[in-house]
Amino acid sequence: MSTDWKEEVSKCSKCGKCQTVCPVFLETGDESSVSRGKISLAEALRDKEIVYTDKLRDHVYSCKKCMRCRTVCPSDVDYEVIISALLRGVADEMGIPLLPKIIFRYILPRRILFDLMLKVGSKIQRFMPGKRRGQMRHLPLMFMGKRWIPTLAKKTALKRLRTTRKLKNPKMRVGLFTGCLINYIYVDIAEAVVDVLNRMNIEVVIPQGQLCCGTPSSTMGDHKSSKKLADVNKQVFESHNLDAIVSACATCTKSIKLDYLRTLGPSWQKMSDKIYDISEFIEKYCSDDYKTKPLDEKVTYHDPCHLMWVRGITDQPRNVLKKSSDFVDMDMAGSCCGGGGIFTIIHYDLTLKMLERKVNSIERSGADTVATNCPGCIMQIADGFAGKDSKIKTTHSIQILQKAMINGGVDKGK
Amino acid sequence: MKLFTKNKKEVNKHQKALNELIRVVGKERVLSSVEDRICYSYDGTKQKVLPDIVVRPGDTTDVSNTLKIANQYEVPIYARGAGSGLTGGAVPLKGGIVFDLKNMNRIIEICPEDFVATVEPGVVTKQLQDEVAKFDLFYPPDPSSAAFSTIGGNVAECAGGITGLKYGVTRDYILALEIVLPDGSVINTGGKTGYDLTRLFTGSEGTLGIFTKITVKLIPKPEKIRTLAAHFRNKDDAIDAADRIIDNNILPRTLEFLDQMTINALRGHTGTDMGEDVKALLLIDLDGTEESINYEMPVVENACKECNGFRIKVAETAQEREAIWAARRSISPALYNIASHKINEDICVPRSKIKEILQRVDRIKEDQPIYIANFGHIGDGNIHVNIMYNDDPGQEELAEIIVNKVMKEVVALGGSISGEHGIGNKKSQFMELEIPPHEYDIMKRFKSYFDPKGIMNPGKMFIR
Amino acid sequence: MEQQTHNNKIDQKVFEELCDAIGRENVLDNIEERVCSPFDTSEGKSIPDLVITPHSTEQVSSLLSIANKHSIPICPQWAWTGLSGGDVPVKSGISLDLKNMNRIEPLNARDLTVTVEPGVVIKDLQDEVAKSRLFYPPELGSAGFSTIGGRVAESTGGMIGMKYGVTREYVLAMEIVLPDGSVINTGRKTLKSVAGYDLTRFFVGSEGTLGVLTKITLKLLPMPEKIGTVISFFSDIDSALNATDSILIKNHLHVRSLEFADKICIDAIRESTEGEIPEEVGALLLIDVDGNEKNVANDISRIDALCRENSALNTSIANTDEKRNTLWDIWKSISPSLFKVNSMEFNEDCSAPRSKVKEALKKVYELGKAHSLQVAAFGNVGEGHVHLSVICNNGKVVDVPVNNLISQIFKDVVSVSRSNRSAQGVGDTKSEYIGLELAPHEIEIMRDLKRMFDPKSIMNPGKTFGNSSVHRNTHYK
Repeated sequence: MSTDWKEEVSKCSKCGKCQTVCPVFLETGDESSVSRGKISLAEALRDKEIVYTDKLRDHVYSCKKCMRCRTVCPSDVDYEVIISALLRGVADEMGIPLLPKIIFRYILPRRILFDLMLKVGSKIQRFMPGKRRGQMRHLPLMFMGKRWIPTLAKKTALKRLRTTRKLKNPKMRVGLFTGCLINYIYVDIAEAVVDVLNRMNIEVVIPQGQLCCGTPSSTMGDHKSSKKLADVNKQVFESHNLDAIVSACATCTKSIKLDYLRTLGPSWQKMSDKIYDISEFIEKYCSDDYKTKPLDEKVTYHDPCHLMWVRGITDQPRNVLKKSSDFVDMDMAGSCCGGGGIFTIIHYDLTLKMLERKVNSIERSGADTVATNCPGCIMQIADGFAGKDSKIKTTHSIQILQKAMINGGVDKGK
Repeated sequence: MKLFTKNKKEVNKHQKALNELIRVVGKERVLSSVEDRICYSYDGTKQKVLPDIVVRPGDTTDVSNTLKIANQYEVPIYARGAGSGLTGGAVPLKGGIVFDLKNMNRIIEICPEDFVATVEPGVVTKQLQDEVAKFDLFYPPDPSSAAFSTIGGNVAECAGGITGLKYGVTRDYILALEIVLPDGSVINTGGKTGYDLTRLFTGSEGTLGIFTKITVKLIPKPEKIRTLAAHFRNKDDAIDAADRIIDNNILPRTLEFLDQMTINALRGHTGTDMGEDVKALLLIDLDGTEESINYEMPVVENACKECNGFRIKVAETAQEREAIWAARRSISPALYNIASHKINEDICVPRSKIKEILQRVDRIKEDQPIYIANFGHIGDGNIHVNIMYNDDPGQEELAEIIVNKVMKEVVALGGSISGEHGIGNKKSQFMELEIPPHEYDIMKRFKSYFDPKGIMNPGKMFIR
Repeated sequence: MEQQTHNNKIDQKVFEELCDAIGRENVLDNIEERVCSPFDTSEGKSIPDLVITPHSTEQVSSLLSIANKHSIPICPQWAWTGLSGGDVPVKSGISLDLKNMNRIEPLNARDLTVTVEPGVVIKDLQDEVAKSRLFYPPELGSAGFSTIGGRVAESTGGMIGMKYGVTREYVLAMEIVLPDGSVINTGRKTLKSVAGYDLTRFFVGSEGTLGVLTKITLKLLPMPEKIGTVISFFSDIDSALNATDSILIKNHLHVRSLEFADKICIDAIRESTEGEIPEEVGALLLIDVDGNEKNVANDISRIDALCRENSALNTSIANTDEKRNTLWDIWKSISPSLFKVNSMEFNEDCSAPRSKVKEALKKVYELGKAHSLQVAAFGNVGEGHVHLSVICNNGKVVDVPVNNLISQIFKDVVSVSRSNRSAQGVGDTKSEYIGLELAPHEIEIMRDLKRMFDPKSIMNPGKTFGNSSVHRNTHYK
């Protein structure tokens, strides 16, 4: 795998095939939205024909980094290397905006401060107008736009699950990487992971010292901050004797399994090999082991970009859902929901268009619930339905499995 | 890449035009930052020239207004669909205006009772195919870029594709065009009255006008498709087998040929199961009803066997079919396993001369340190001759010399220098090998008539 | 050489020049030849000054060169089956008869192409390529004596305009003599070619107004294994057209051809078919399918079923050549039968999109009634071609009402669809109607392009864009 972005750039044959899958290009029709366009900008930078400008930064930020393009590129260009280099360039040449910089440099590495910042936020949320099914409406002036976002949890997952059950004769001992969205908002998902794995006779540990996986800072090109976070996470997880590490967040899984290989080097390979998405883990190690009584609920599945396009994982979550519910597939399950941090803030209008497509697909499937394996996607899709005051629920596949196992009377594990 | 190399006077001249353009079509339809223009400076040939501005018309009026201004100020205009062409058609060689038609992409109407559809030029070919398939209709021209190239681009280049033998090419499916001429006037072609301007403009590569509406003919969609792959120990057997199939009154939906060099490249790339004994491959699709295919398939299999074909595999499932076709689709990238640079020619010879041209290509190559892979639409004589070369000194020149020689042989055998990719600026040097001076002059006269100021895609098709 | 002239406007010197260049035997100036030469079924008649019958491209080139020098109009003539005035020299001049240029070049069946001279009769071409089990798909009802040159010059839709497309899709390359006598070669003899502008197809359908086509390379297809024909009788035209919708639109049967004929046509042919067509039959469909044995058997039985579903009175199937020919002979007799039955016949033809044929016909019949005239209609539904015959029984000169009717039909059908021209060329008969379809600046473009090739306007002048100078006489029985 080449780490030299210039080498990757020169592999591009300019065929244009990336246009067939790029979710941003699908909405805009702009060549600057698609990989080939960004690569040509990278070439111009390489050849010193242009410099970093606001316009260039906008174009760089318009990449969804879903990596669909990589899966169809006939020249095998590792586009991730290129876009990472461009993002780093933007950060290096133009600096990082103050607020994010403060958060990345000073808050993310310090759990206490992070907790504090969000605690303050959760108090303020009481004064927010308009609550709907666990979502609340943000004021237009806030940086999140006119979105419906979930309320912050009263107690974080790390705190709530500080101690987890020790099993007598566990099959395996795995660590759970929560990630920020699950830690601060979707605590139930973390609980479901622990519960399900316990019922499969797998002991779960949630290392307390873990920090943000580093994706937000990488996205904005602040690789220095990302490296700091990675160093801490490496040290924390290596210090536990774990058979595997699981995560219920597709983005975090991608980050700690794949991106950390670049950030931390080959010393991370051994750990990387035993990092799994939760459905992936279940399919690999427990597929014979669990009984369920499928819920009488039509559930469909949305493929998160970071799971499907980056890692090719599509069957495992579906298999879990097929055992747990009345599963129906939706059309274009792999199309991007538009969610994901920076992109949604900067390109809110595009986000909405992509979200609309996704919501329509889900509605067409006839499902009561949409499950997915990424809290970022959950947040985005729930936003879409809350805006429509729809009855369709958005959840994580592990939560469906949990319910089905409880239904099936599976032991909590000893 | 050319940046601002114009002299002051020319910059000013265009500046007035550009200002007026922005005023007339609106700022939101214009891209003028260098970061945006870079993204419109190339096509599928990797050539790059920076345009002065990118205009993204929303409708025929925008196109007409832009052309009026461009014509008045004599600013070059370069039409662009997906920018996926292989001959330089969309590259703005002289700067000027890139006309991005990607957002004029409505399917205006599909009339299943009349078997026609009308589309705007930016509609992606596959999108049209998928939409009409909902009515059990079929738009056959299927270039390999169909998933991203546009109908407008297809018509401008008269694209071919893998279904050419049985179903014909783009020009056979265009019923009518709405065209904006270089002076901004709008004409409609397609009635049977008067001269066939539809055909004159189809394949005109953006040098005569801009298509703003395209009406296409559709045919009933075949019910089923079945795929067969046949392996051969030498290319002559494969070519004979192709002939034998047609001799049996069967016109396959596709009839593709891969030579030894192509197979070698694939072998390393996809891990496709092609043993060392395979020196040529035929890839055949039959379409129609289930019974019809069942009737024809054994005939095709026998034809291959009679010509020493072996390991003849009929795909039974969709996955098997996909696997066979994945090999064909991987050819282009797989060739880069052989060497890092490629010249891709798409010559066409009379069918009886296929063996001869391949022999002559071999003779031209001799034992020079360069690689040539031949594959393609053997059904209609349209072969993609790919010359692969690396960065060593002299390689690029050698490749160019070989291309020259190949083109001469092709024309000598009565063939054509381009079966489907068009001329652009990549093949304009070879035009006069094929087109005699009188006919070349007639073409120039058409060009001068419609585009007296020479603003439409200058630098393409004609070199003088 | 003495001219045996009669009202001949050709100068003696020019006459000698022509004889020198082309051969005296090929320059026909006797009145019999001249009068017979341009016989035409569109009631237009004009006598050329000379009839020239060259044997080679060189001779054609010399002819045009001389004609251009002296500004003598030339009208190419393609057999005598042109139905739209395309063969009537509008201004007197030279009638060019290419009957002696009728060679078929030896073909290599592998190529799926054949090169022919323009005077080759279609039937002869089909017979020749059939030896290699190939066929030339754009075949016509008048295939017996139409020539390739004529059909290509008029860019005909052909009877198999459906499954196999139209003439222009089968012309790959041409040798053309331009009005100044120069010879060009357009296209390549390959199945695909995109180098430069499509001059080949531009000249297809140019109706002799831009030059003379002296060699034409055609695309051929392997002959289908089997052809089957179905003839189906209905009590009225509506059921027949409903059946058509069912076959083509609802069931997507990809038929080779689908022809229909209405009551008046059937009445006209009833006599000659010796009672094979019962009295109650008011419409018929004639359908060809082809392909492999399986396809044909399936298609035929499906068509049979669909016709019966739409109240067909009777359906007959033919799968041998002999039986098929019998059915097609019935069809081919319509046009001559109509002419026999009535003293006067105006032949026009209209084009409407497939889905609007029913509506167009309704209008036609309404208009006929309003003008107290009978209109017979038959044609190729698949391509939306409708041939109309306005029948006048009583020998009166009814020029005006008939012309009114015709122009009304054209206007109405054009409002139903977009084009008022179909299988035959535009020729002279419809020149005045050109305005219905092309916008003024588009007509201007056509005129400019014509001038580009033929600045002296010697090639088939008065066709397509000019004004007719022919005095139309009516025929009497």
